[in-house]
Amino acid sequence: MDMITDDLKTPFSQLLLSIADDKLIQGHRASDWTGVAPILEEDIAFSAIAQEEIAHAAELYRLVADLTGGNADALAFGRAAEEYRCASIVELVDEFDWATAIARHFFCDHLDGLRFGRLANSCFTPVAGLAARIQAEESVHIEHVDTWVQHLGHGGDDARGRMQQALDALAPHASMMFEATQGGELVESAGLFPKADADMFDQWLTGLKKITGQAGLTLNVTRPAPDAVGGRRGQRSGDFAELLDEMSEVYRQEPEAAW
Amino acid sequence: MVTRDVVLDILKTIDDPEMPISIVDLGMVECIHLAPPGVSVAVDLLPTFVGCPALPMLEQMIADKVGDIEGVEEVAVNFVFDPPWTVDRISESGRRQLKEIGVGVPSQSAACQSDLLQINLPVPCPFCDSTQTRMTSPFGPTRCRKIYYCESCKNPFEQLKRL
Repeated sequence: MDMITDDLKTPFSQLLLSIADDKLIQGHRASDWTGVAPILEEDIAFSAIAQEEIAHAAELYRLVADLTGGNADALAFGRAAEEYRCASIVELVDEFDWATAIARHFFCDHLDGLRFGRLANSCFTPVAGLAARIQAEESVHIEHVDTWVQHLGHGGDDARGRMQQALDALAPHASMMFEATQGGELVESAGLFPKADADMFDQWLTGLKKITGQAGLTLNVTRPAPDAVGGRRGQRSGDFAELLDEMSEVYRQEPEAAW
Repeated sequence: MVTRDVVLDILKTIDDPEMPISIVDLGMVECIHLAPPGVSVAVDLLPTFVGCPALPMLEQMIADKVGDIEGVEEVAVNFVFDPPWTVDRISESGRRQLKEIGVGVPSQSAACQSDLLQINLPVPCPFCDSTQTRMTSPFGPTRCRKIYYCESCKNPFEQLKRL
């Protein structure tokens, strides 16, 4: 179907915004590595990944704008901090620590693979076709980050220690990616974001543990408490204000400009 | 009179900005709508990659060139993701043209849906056809390409991602 009922527009927009905001901010953080990654191939890889994450976000903002009558650029750059719906894991400054950057992508990319798989089965056709393409593109990100987790896990005591430390530090933030969005159950039961055969958190953790197990690393992530409130409800981490200020600097100078 | 074939012939002259073959050979053109006949033209285009930066340029080129056809008053370009674009949509002629400039295209095979499943299949060098090749980076100069090296003729080459 091409239309959705009015009562579902807000909850579905909240879900799409949570994913789009994750991608926009992850992409923005990834772009910090352009030119300063440990090796040339990773300069290219992180630049390409940043470009893809932001491109995916742009398409999702366009969908939300179509649903709610807004404007994609204004959604991306013109909201107040508490109106963003990203999880804290994408907001954190990585201090140019390579293991932290890899751990962030490891947690995020695996979740993207799963949630776009679900959206590809959405009863809302405009999102289903797009999600199928994004899921295919994400498969390359997952392959890339899995390779790095294994490299670092097998890279001697120093590399393994840093990778383990980064996974441990980001685990509580990774868990909060699963905080429910407002009206989350509604969009699931309506088939807009249909449930998969298995629980998404379990699938996600199993996929991650397969890689950390092969890499000699451990992973300790638990489900968020049902009443936990975080980024999906607008609570921002300390690193977000500066990020938003920098990211929207050009937009704010001329909000009506065509890009 | 404006017909689909007339529009298609014009689209065949428009090259993708990042790949020097026409958008028709690339398999991006899904449908041409004429409504009412000859007055307003809409082209359904399948983006190769989500949010590819070449898309706004393509939209402009199509609007300009199709708009120049006598009798056409309006041109619209719709980017659609259903059906999804895949490398299998590239024509034989497109494959030949890409090979000539050193860009390999994964072979057509319905059984291999992703790069992940194709990881152990030999990738022939577009210059010398040797399969003594290795991937040096899954990310290349544009989002649709990755980088390989041919051990036989010692040339680096690009290979389209199979997504």
